[in-house]
Amino acid sequence: MNAPDLLPIAGPLDGLIREDRVHKRLYNDAEIFRLEMERVFGRSWLYIGHASQVPKPGDYLTAYMGLQPVILVRHQDGSLHVLHNRCAHRGAMIRTDARGNTGKSFYCGYHGWTFKTNGELLAAPLKRAYAERYDLKCGDFGLARVPRVGVYRGFIFACLAPLSEPLPDLETYLGIGKQCIDKIVDRSPTGELDLNGGVQKYVVRANWKAQVENLNDTYHPPYSHECTTDENKRQFKRRPGDDGGPLLASDENQSIWDRIDAVAFDYGNSYCGPLPFNHEARGGPLYEAHRAALGERHAAEKVDEILTDNFHNVIFYPSVVMQLASIHVRTVRPIAVDRTEICVYPIRLKGVPEEMNRQLVRYLNITHSAASLIQSDDVEMFRRIQGGLASDGAPWVWFNRYMGDEADIPGGQSSIGTSELIMRNQYRAYRGYMAGAIP
Amino acid sequence: MTALHRSAPDPIGKAEAEEFLIHEARLLDEQRYDEWMNLFAPDAYYWAPARAGQPDPHAEVSLIFDDREIMQQRIKRLRHPRIFAQLPPSRAVRQVTNVTVDDVDHKRGECTARSVFFMYEFRPTLPEPIHRIFAGEYRHCLRRSGNGLLIAWKKALLVNCDASFDPIFLYF
Repeated sequence: MNAPDLLPIAGPLDGLIREDRVHKRLYNDAEIFRLEMERVFGRSWLYIGHASQVPKPGDYLTAYMGLQPVILVRHQDGSLHVLHNRCAHRGAMIRTDARGNTGKSFYCGYHGWTFKTNGELLAAPLKRAYAERYDLKCGDFGLARVPRVGVYRGFIFACLAPLSEPLPDLETYLGIGKQCIDKIVDRSPTGELDLNGGVQKYVVRANWKAQVENLNDTYHPPYSHECTTDENKRQFKRRPGDDGGPLLASDENQSIWDRIDAVAFDYGNSYCGPLPFNHEARGGPLYEAHRAALGERHAAEKVDEILTDNFHNVIFYPSVVMQLASIHVRTVRPIAVDRTEICVYPIRLKGVPEEMNRQLVRYLNITHSAASLIQSDDVEMFRRIQGGLASDGAPWVWFNRYMGDEADIPGGQSSIGTSELIMRNQYRAYRGYMAGAIP
Repeated sequence: MTALHRSAPDPIGKAEAEEFLIHEARLLDEQRYDEWMNLFAPDAYYWAPARAGQPDPHAEVSLIFDDREIMQQRIKRLRHPRIFAQLPPSRAVRQVTNVTVDDVDHKRGECTARSVFFMYEFRPTLPEPIHRIFAGEYRHCLRRSGNGLLIAWKKALLVNCDASFDPIFLYF
């Protein structure tokens, strides 16, 4: 008999993950999906939200860690907690809305139990009924806390694995990707971000990995997004100050996207870019006003450094991507083996001319809403992948572009833009997680 | 009658507004996008908010917030031979009911028409077809011009505007 819980790589995943390819069953096998929720989403740092979304005590937002519902809440003492969204008593969800302020306590509508905003039980009605051997003040009767919560420059992550497991702390997990978050935060003259600019949500009728593999895939744009380009193969302008949109040109021998970097590092994380062809030159009154606002806080060379792009999309595997060009956070939430929800949150910068943030919102509508002119192309391809992989005609999905051409760099590996190094790196981490090892 | 009153355009009545809205819906149903675009004033915008009660298209993201330039790009893209998500294309019908005319601005020759819409979309595609209903409220700001009525702005307020959607390609 197989013992898949002990030896997953020798069990349902036996032979399905190779260095240059993975088997189609990774996308449509419900048992593998169940194991992923336990071993990948159950043991990695997952993005939950941003501190600006819960600024005051009692502020909360609901989220999912894999399939598990959680609540991010700011406690009365200002600390942040991620609580399981499940009454300790009989299991009812405590909150079913997206966000709000709960005051000093959460209330369960079933039997009226109340909980402090750090999860501890506050009161259970008619408590005399509980025999003395039940200590209602013990942890068993509070809202269970997600054991690990980490915050890096306002971005809140959590990890479901018990503290007894020797997993990396948040900063170790973020690795050289920290410099991408730094770049985003430093673009604000006050170092403050605001993620309250609404959310764009769409459903992908595909496995979550199809989306995650795409986030740094710079091979696809000239083909998937051909319909978004003008006669000169240029897309829409994405931000104020740029003199044009990204160029999607490629020919038989070379893609312009080869010119950017693909950088892979630990735990399946990666970034691509920057996009030097996003614009020929930056300038204009808004850009200059931004530069001037930064100049009031920083020396000139620091301002130049802050305004120099160092990446395009950074992936913190498996749950989130952050983008610099149209500055936003995008979360990946698996719902079922063939269904995924994506949420896009604009990152408004505090201390910049308000028109900059308005332009960001405007461009995200064009590029990333469910009705956008760009993202909808990708979602169609993910749907087609899910449809196509029902076929038994060929077992493999391939990630072998520029395999072996990667170079070691401090903290990771680098290759040219259209390499599939980044997907191979994701599956290295995936294999580790699924084997039960520290990836 | 004073000269001022004589120069003011005729007010837009309910019957005229309703006929216009039905005409507009038919142009969208039949994907006659050039004629549809011609219904919009040069400074017009089309807004489908992403949150119920969203007050402002600038501070928060929307499903759609198009000026004429983006409308042109969206329509041009729909006609591109390699828009894979519309091969084969969606078909849809829109029903417009419960029309009222509010906020009549006699001086500018404008009014706000409010209505309820239902839209059924069918996209014949493998591995399974996508069919869905969108429902909500339209608000049109209609403006009298030399060539009939023009749309100064149009808002499509979907009942489920904050849902997670399959990709949306058609205007509501």
